[in-house]
Amino acid sequence: MKNLEMVTIIVNDRPVTAPVEAHESLLDFLRNKAGAVEVKCGCNQGDCGTCTVLFQGKAAKSCLILALQAQGKEVRTIKGFSGDFLMEQLQESFVRNGAIQCGFCTPGMLISSYAFLQATPQPAREEIRNAISGNLCRCTGYKKIIDAVEEVALKRTGKQQDKQTTPSSFSEGQEEAKGNYLLLGGG
Amino acid sequence: MELKVIGKGVPKYDAWGKARGEVIYADDFSMPGMLYGKVFRSSLPRAKILSIDTSKAENLPGVHAVITHKDVPKNNLRARFGQGTEIGAQFEGLYRVLAEGEVRYYGEPVALIAAETPEIAEKACELIEVQYEPLPGVFDPLEAMQPGAPQVGEKENNIASHFKIRKGDVEKGFAQADVIVEGFYQVGYQDHAYLELESGVAWVDDDGTIVIRVSSQVIEHFREVAEVLDLPHSRVRYIGTLIGGGFGGKEDITVESYLALLAWKTRRPVKLTYTRKESLLVHSKRHPYYMYYKTGATKDGKITAVHAKLISDAGSYAALSPWVLLYSTVDAIGPYNVENVKVDAYTVMTNTPITSAFRGFGAPQVNLAYESQMNELAKKLGMNPMELRRKNYLKQGDSLATGYVYDRPVPLDLLAQKAWEALGPKRTSSKPQVKIGRGLAVGMCSYGRLTFLHDTSRSYVRLELDGSALIRCGVPDVGGGQGHILAQIVSEELGVPLNLIKIHVTDSQLTPLAGTTTATRQLYMSGNATLKACRELRQRMFRKAAQMLLTNEEDLEVGEGKVYLKSDPTRYIALVPLINRMSADGDELYVEAQFNAPFSDVPAKEIIEGRTFPDFTFGAYGVEVEVDEETGKVELKRVVAAFDVGRALNPILVEGQIEGGAVQGAGYALMEDMVIKDGIIQTPSLQEYLIPTSMDVPDVESILIESGTGLGPYGAKGIGEPPIVGIAPAILNAIDDAVGVRITSLPVTSEKILMELKASKEGNKAA
Amino acid sequence: MINCEYLKPVDLQEALKFASQFADRARFAAGCTNILPDIHTGKLRDCVLIDISDLKELKGINREDDFISLGSATTVTELLNSEIIRNEAPVLWEAASRFADPVVRNRATVGGNLAYGSPASDMSVPLLVLDATVLVQSMEKGIREIPLRNFFVGPGKTVLSPSEVILRIKFEPLSDFKFYYTKFGKRNAMAISIASLAVGIKLGKAIEEARIALGALAPIPLRALRTEEFLTGKPVQTEILEKASEILLSEINPISDIRGSKEYRLELTRALFLRAVNNILSLK
Repeated sequence: MKNLEMVTIIVNDRPVTAPVEAHESLLDFLRNKAGAVEVKCGCNQGDCGTCTVLFQGKAAKSCLILALQAQGKEVRTIKGFSGDFLMEQLQESFVRNGAIQCGFCTPGMLISSYAFLQATPQPAREEIRNAISGNLCRCTGYKKIIDAVEEVALKRTGKQQDKQTTPSSFSEGQEEAKGNYLLLGGG
Repeated sequence: MELKVIGKGVPKYDAWGKARGEVIYADDFSMPGMLYGKVFRSSLPRAKILSIDTSKAENLPGVHAVITHKDVPKNNLRARFGQGTEIGAQFEGLYRVLAEGEVRYYGEPVALIAAETPEIAEKACELIEVQYEPLPGVFDPLEAMQPGAPQVGEKENNIASHFKIRKGDVEKGFAQADVIVEGFYQVGYQDHAYLELESGVAWVDDDGTIVIRVSSQVIEHFREVAEVLDLPHSRVRYIGTLIGGGFGGKEDITVESYLALLAWKTRRPVKLTYTRKESLLVHSKRHPYYMYYKTGATKDGKITAVHAKLISDAGSYAALSPWVLLYSTVDAIGPYNVENVKVDAYTVMTNTPITSAFRGFGAPQVNLAYESQMNELAKKLGMNPMELRRKNYLKQGDSLATGYVYDRPVPLDLLAQKAWEALGPKRTSSKPQVKIGRGLAVGMCSYGRLTFLHDTSRSYVRLELDGSALIRCGVPDVGGGQGHILAQIVSEELGVPLNLIKIHVTDSQLTPLAGTTTATRQLYMSGNATLKACRELRQRMFRKAAQMLLTNEEDLEVGEGKVYLKSDPTRYIALVPLINRMSADGDELYVEAQFNAPFSDVPAKEIIEGRTFPDFTFGAYGVEVEVDEETGKVELKRVVAAFDVGRALNPILVEGQIEGGAVQGAGYALMEDMVIKDGIIQTPSLQEYLIPTSMDVPDVESILIESGTGLGPYGAKGIGEPPIVGIAPAILNAIDDAVGVRITSLPVTSEKILMELKASKEGNKAA
Repeated sequence: MINCEYLKPVDLQEALKFASQFADRARFAAGCTNILPDIHTGKLRDCVLIDISDLKELKGINREDDFISLGSATTVTELLNSEIIRNEAPVLWEAASRFADPVVRNRATVGGNLAYGSPASDMSVPLLVLDATVLVQSMEKGIREIPLRNFFVGPGKTVLSPSEVILRIKFEPLSDFKFYYTKFGKRNAMAISIASLAVGIKLGKAIEEARIALGALAPIPLRALRTEEFLTGKPVQTEILEKASEILLSEINPISDIRGSKEYRLELTRALFLRAVNNILSLK
């Protein structure tokens, strides 16, 4: 006999009620009981970030939260941001900057970026890089994701960054070498 | 001719759906009455199966099926991945669905379960009882090559394939050399570590067709699955999903046979998704290689001879090991013109998990060796590494080591210079124990499949009456815009705005088969097929428009929703009336076109000669590292990648491949460590098998050169795999530049560097 | 089969009551960043999860006289956002900034990290060097104050009984010390330490006092007491520091595992220690 308990979680502003076992994670609940398959499962152990949601307004890996811990609490998935200007800006920026390849990391990556920009509206590039360090991406190499977030941040603070859709020079590219020095703590 | 859509970094059609979380990946899909599948796997790397008792599992409430090899209509297939070409014993492998009589690797599938919940399926696994008789296994290819080693496969000899190159006379070549460099290089596994795990759902349609909705790079596997079930090919249909990362790991059959068997048996939909642990433990990986190289050169830096011996670990089932070995053989000496070449390459079976396709497909391994050799040679000659390479690059008209004359430009010198110059003036370290070093490496990587496979692709394009368009193409989309780029081509060729084009991809019965999304072939093959279809359609449009505009076809152009005269653009006919007139006249508004790659013959002997690939993509990496001499830690500070992409049909997508491939290659070089002991992987989680986070890599700087000399549409070359070739040796060369330590095995851990530094310090003391 | 239950106590008293009631099966759960992976891998199969993540009694970062006091359910992000911690306990702040990744930090708690008892525990190293005390409570034993130095017993084992909950962690800011923290892993984020080290030195004409804490280098996170004793009162000289590093290596007992060999960890420790000390000494 399974030990089942009813739980009600506010998913994208709607209460969802379902029976769960004590050890079930919020991720299990979202995907299997709330129909929120936009929240992905890449490892189920907190190592990849594809399950990232907003939990009580903060970015959190849903595979590391017990469903019962979320009783009565608010969870927001990537589908829960309609009308949210910041998220729309982020999505548009990701789309236009080529920050989305296979797309599997994208919902989690967007949520981590969103939460970060809310807390740090004027970030340095290295801070953006740090903010997404809990979300793995195997396709993009991260550069275009950071570009996308940086562009939104610059737009929000009033400094318009006019990004063309096509980069200015291609053949025999005279690209300026961009130095990039990582901010690393300790060691 | 000015191109309007091609060359623009327009967003992919699937990007918004992914940004909104609307895409239904394989595991996101469910059906009413669906059961959950699970694979029961062996707990030993080599054993005889004495008995399998599934009765307790079968009787567990909620279990609908338990399948072992005896329930599989055809449990053993000769794997032939061509398109009907008999490819011969050297290339075939055994595809065994479920273990039969013995297990050859830890985690080999022994039974399949379908149950009402994943928990019941897991419980059923625990109830299956297998009696094993453990047998001695062999876990290293060098050991497996020895006489008397345990037999892994069906052949007495564990050597699955042996390929050779014999060009000129290496003995003479070495005799002419003033300087000889020998090196022994070793690379371990690499796991694809795609974020989306292997997954699919299968069901039996109302007409008895098995439908498999699956994340797969090769929907043509419907043929193999049909044979496994002893059904006609027409009775198995693959619906390919948008794939959450492939990199070659979803190229072989993963879950599909299991799904088909379980759905067929239960007559219920069945879902099967691997866990991350399962995926890391058992799914196919990049081949570990041992590589011995001997390179000889004159004091002026002209390489006179190369002798290479390659030994790869074929795992316990050959899968694509012979193919990967062939790539390594052809690429063994790199993009250099060498008169005397001897290569012996072996792929050897061991009782370890399967090794098969992974981005680069045998090119990265040998690239590591030959580009390390180059720098070692430069050192010994007292020559600048760029200068040494310059003296030896393959040039247009030179022949490869296989004797095949490469008749296209090879802009390696330009690429190497650009990559190197972009690094700028040398930096000085602010900390005494941190040394800065720079490394250069070049690479070559084929695009298009082996020509003896007689590769073809098909695409269908249709004009709608309102001026919009439809594309159907079987191309699997792994995220690189494989589907999207076809829409860009149609938009360019037919003047239909991009937002009016709908594309259906990846259905083995409803979309024309486009072949595998592997071997960097889709832009080349499906792109050309789509281009061909468009040009045929365009010709029909021009024929009709010429009549309607009272002009000749040569003077016509299409764009922005109309067909117009080049000489007088005010004379035009809009697409809608043109198309409707064509329709009324009974003209066919659709074309399905097939594109054939160049065909060659299957290698008849072990010596590889002549043409093997349609073409190659060349690239160069300039890399800067910081090495901490006290801890051995390597920080990758700058990565500059310069590639001749032929033509960048969509520069943002092209850059995306370069940036992603470079980072995946950096992971291979610096941190991806698949530890295996006695055939069992010790690192089955993403906390143990580490891939780069955003904090581990810099922004990759891409320099694109467009020579226009590719075989793809508009002169494009393939760019999916090439970026992973070149970065690893560039990093090793940079480390050597920084601290004078030549690392010859991957991954380069900080421990390896510190121990090497310590050893050389002690060596210096002794000397 | 997994046999877990979940309870949410309304306050601390109820939490203690539940823990006492379920004795060996009781498991306090807050961030669950270790508990859920353990359930998933089968390491934890049978437990009563007592959710203390929302208990107000276990939250808050305060100053209590000379001490800084943290509630055990303080998340790592809360540490990073705290002015008190940032200004007065920079060594703890630095460790928090290197902990796992920014998303996990929103959930992982200081108390949870200590109670899990990993030899590589990231929070233990700075707190050890600050000589923190852990305040714990249970129905059976009442309230106990345990110096963190005596808290860890073995890999995954602390002196806590299953019904004891960590209430608060307190330490004196030690503003007359200079600190250095480093965490060395195989990757720059989401990495389990190969070695982590915190050094605090109170410098006068000579070394007045030295504190050294290490993680991932022994069965427990520990203070290198003999090395500290050796350094006390000694002048800052290369030979002294070399000798100190030798003693340090004899106080640790690293293993060889998939992350690194014993030999490497010893070399690394020596290098990191000397670097730490040199860094501190150059801070004026």
